[in-house]
Amino acid sequence: MANTDFQVLVVGSGAGGAMAAYELTRQGIKVLMLEAGRDYNPRAETPMFNRNADAPLLGSGNKDKDFGFYDATVDGGWSVPDEPYTMDENTEFMWWRARMLGGRTNHWGRFSLRFSEHDFKGKTRDGHGADWPFEYQDIASWYDKTETLVGVCGANTGHEDMPDSAPGVLQPPPKARVTELLVAAAAGKEGIRMAPMHRAVLTRAQDIRQKCLYATSCGRGCSIGAAFQTTTSLIPLAKATGNLTVITDAMVREVRTDDTGKVIGVSYVNKSSGENVELDAPVVILAASACESARIMLNSRSDKHPAGLANSSGQIGRNLMDSTGANLGAYIPALRNRPRYNEDGHTSNHLFIPWWEHDAQAKGELDFPRGYHFEIGSGFREPGAWVAGDFQGYGVEVKEEARAAYGSYIGFALRGEMLPNDDCYMDIDETVTDKWGIPVARFHWKWSENEINQVRHGLETAKKILTNMGAEVGALPDPEEAILKGGQIIHEVGTTRMGDDPTNSVTNQWGQTWDCDNLFVMDAGVFASNPHKNCTLTIMTLAMRNADWLAKQIKQGAM
Amino acid sequence: MMGDNANKNRPYAPSMTRRDTLKWMGIMAASAALPGLNACSSGAGQVKQVGATAGHWPELALKPVTAPGYGKDPDLISPPSQIWPRTLSADQLNVVAILSDLIVPAEGEYPSATQVKVPDVIDEWVSAPYASQQRDREMILPLLTWLNDEAVIRGGVSYSALALEQQRLILDDIATLNAQTPAAFERPARSFARLRALVLAGYFSSPQGTKDIGYQGNVAIAGDYPGPSDEALAHINQVIDELGLSAYTWTDPA
Repeated sequence: MANTDFQVLVVGSGAGGAMAAYELTRQGIKVLMLEAGRDYNPRAETPMFNRNADAPLLGSGNKDKDFGFYDATVDGGWSVPDEPYTMDENTEFMWWRARMLGGRTNHWGRFSLRFSEHDFKGKTRDGHGADWPFEYQDIASWYDKTETLVGVCGANTGHEDMPDSAPGVLQPPPKARVTELLVAAAAGKEGIRMAPMHRAVLTRAQDIRQKCLYATSCGRGCSIGAAFQTTTSLIPLAKATGNLTVITDAMVREVRTDDTGKVIGVSYVNKSSGENVELDAPVVILAASACESARIMLNSRSDKHPAGLANSSGQIGRNLMDSTGANLGAYIPALRNRPRYNEDGHTSNHLFIPWWEHDAQAKGELDFPRGYHFEIGSGFREPGAWVAGDFQGYGVEVKEEARAAYGSYIGFALRGEMLPNDDCYMDIDETVTDKWGIPVARFHWKWSENEINQVRHGLETAKKILTNMGAEVGALPDPEEAILKGGQIIHEVGTTRMGDDPTNSVTNQWGQTWDCDNLFVMDAGVFASNPHKNCTLTIMTLAMRNADWLAKQIKQGAM
Repeated sequence: MMGDNANKNRPYAPSMTRRDTLKWMGIMAASAALPGLNACSSGAGQVKQVGATAGHWPELALKPVTAPGYGKDPDLISPPSQIWPRTLSADQLNVVAILSDLIVPAEGEYPSATQVKVPDVIDEWVSAPYASQQRDREMILPLLTWLNDEAVIRGGVSYSALALEQQRLILDDIATLNAQTPAAFERPARSFARLRALVLAGYFSSPQGTKDIGYQGNVAIAGDYPGPSDEALAHINQVIDELGLSAYTWTDPA
């Protein structure tokens, strides 16, 4: 397929872009995909089983590899060479990017929780933010299709915060670790129920991928395809149709329009040659990540689109949301010197604590409107650059303390829903450009009382559960101090939100921009709210559903 | 008990390819103790029997490490074995080696810290161009100088020239950091705590140390994850019972 012989151009190869390409090519539509980073092959490049001691600095992180030496992220992290972003005075925002085929799906946590009927209609329930332009029931079957294709392990629990999948969709979850069983009992005393985490990790082999072998952290990527990433699944599957062409090192500068304002293609920088390339395209899908797609649209100004492409609502860049985050952990004396066994499992939460307070919120008993969940950190992890224990002295006594304290810490990581607010948004910094001369994103950020109160509730709850386990927790930090920074949870969404009113949303429910019917957004920018359940599964579900809708339009000649 | 790889007559021999050495030792894990490492030290110098000397702390004019790091796209499968130049002098490395084996001596079937080349880890660490390592450099290098200064004050010779028992006496004064730590020893004690943490990390992440601490993972499992052992389950059920939580025991919904 020649580069010019395609019907849809997709910008981005991560969760949204790869799923869109998969669904379109499956339906016989020819797709050209542009990726700003380099080509990447997890089958050849993943450091499976490599030990921390085999890595520089025992594998610990730094500005080159923020999440540790073995983290899969290429040419990215909290900073990207030659591609800065800026922040408004007195605000701080952390923007994780990757410059590689597959984007951030190569290293993500694989947590794959469905949004529920509560989540899609938050405004109807509590008056805040925006509703989504559909109901849970409208996309339940698309969640089933996506989970089946992606491969998600977990269990139907009937928990009100976790809609059931159709029978047979979920793969079996791994058994709980003893630390998780202890947390479950300690949480149970507070009336809080744990549930098997749903993760995009195969526990049964599927198509071109093998099942999990229960070792070696998923953040490194997965050479056998068990931990989902688009580079071992959707992209090779789409290529196998013969309908997908991928160009890497292609950094999109802008979406091009004609004199009538209609989208006619894109221009991109070939990063290896520095040359500018113009491509014509009948349909363009932006899936470059919420803030990167918004940046492209805001930088695509013309007479017909003076505030940026498809921005007649003025909403592009607004409604920027991340998940709230806070951590509380403690040493559990009863776990000292506990019996050893292999606790790697699928290397992340087997059990977690879903949000349990819908009723209390409905009754107005809480001083914040939206929920959170707890992820649990525990276990006999591979020794690395930090050894747990209360050390004094030296010699064998110190070794004994290290052995005794090993695996005796339990941490709670809160992940919560924030509300959109007028102080949290991104725009373009006209004074700064990246290496390619493209004006950069500028961030503005401020947590509201809703998030602070939610974090306070979370810290107090975590303390109760830790105390039930016999931990001495001590005084809690102030929630204003404990809440992590905007962007730090890497769940940024909302910058091109969907809705059913063109005056306050950027796209319709199909991700089609109100202003340009051949321009779609299929990343987390379209989220109308940011439920606490991690965005990737819903990005993929929407991309599958909306690419299917687009395919029908193309086949009917509407595009 | 203590391997004296690092004494005056047998200076610590750095390994430029510590990670290669570890790979070899990983293959040889659980074999006999490595040869050539004997106990006993016969250093010179008399340690004055004083509890505490006046506070002193060297002000080192440390030049920042400006070597490049490994960048944002290093080879993850075969990490380069040496990326930035090591910066510890032979004497500094020797003191690190003495401290390493005092912190982690050989114990039963398990080797000492120097036997798994922990001083190379420390040298790589304090020589690295990253912010947290440079902070550690500013803590640890003055400690090495302080130990020599203190050894001269007490015994008239450098730290590595002291007899083992005399080396221990100085360490005893700085190895505990709490409210009772005398002000004169607070800075060296703080630095020693950081070095101790790094030595422990270097040791326990080695193949032998990993076995020592009891990590059993990083092995491929053909079937389903087997979950906790019977012993581990019995233990946690007892813990749950003793904490008065057995009424809330979790049951698998699957």
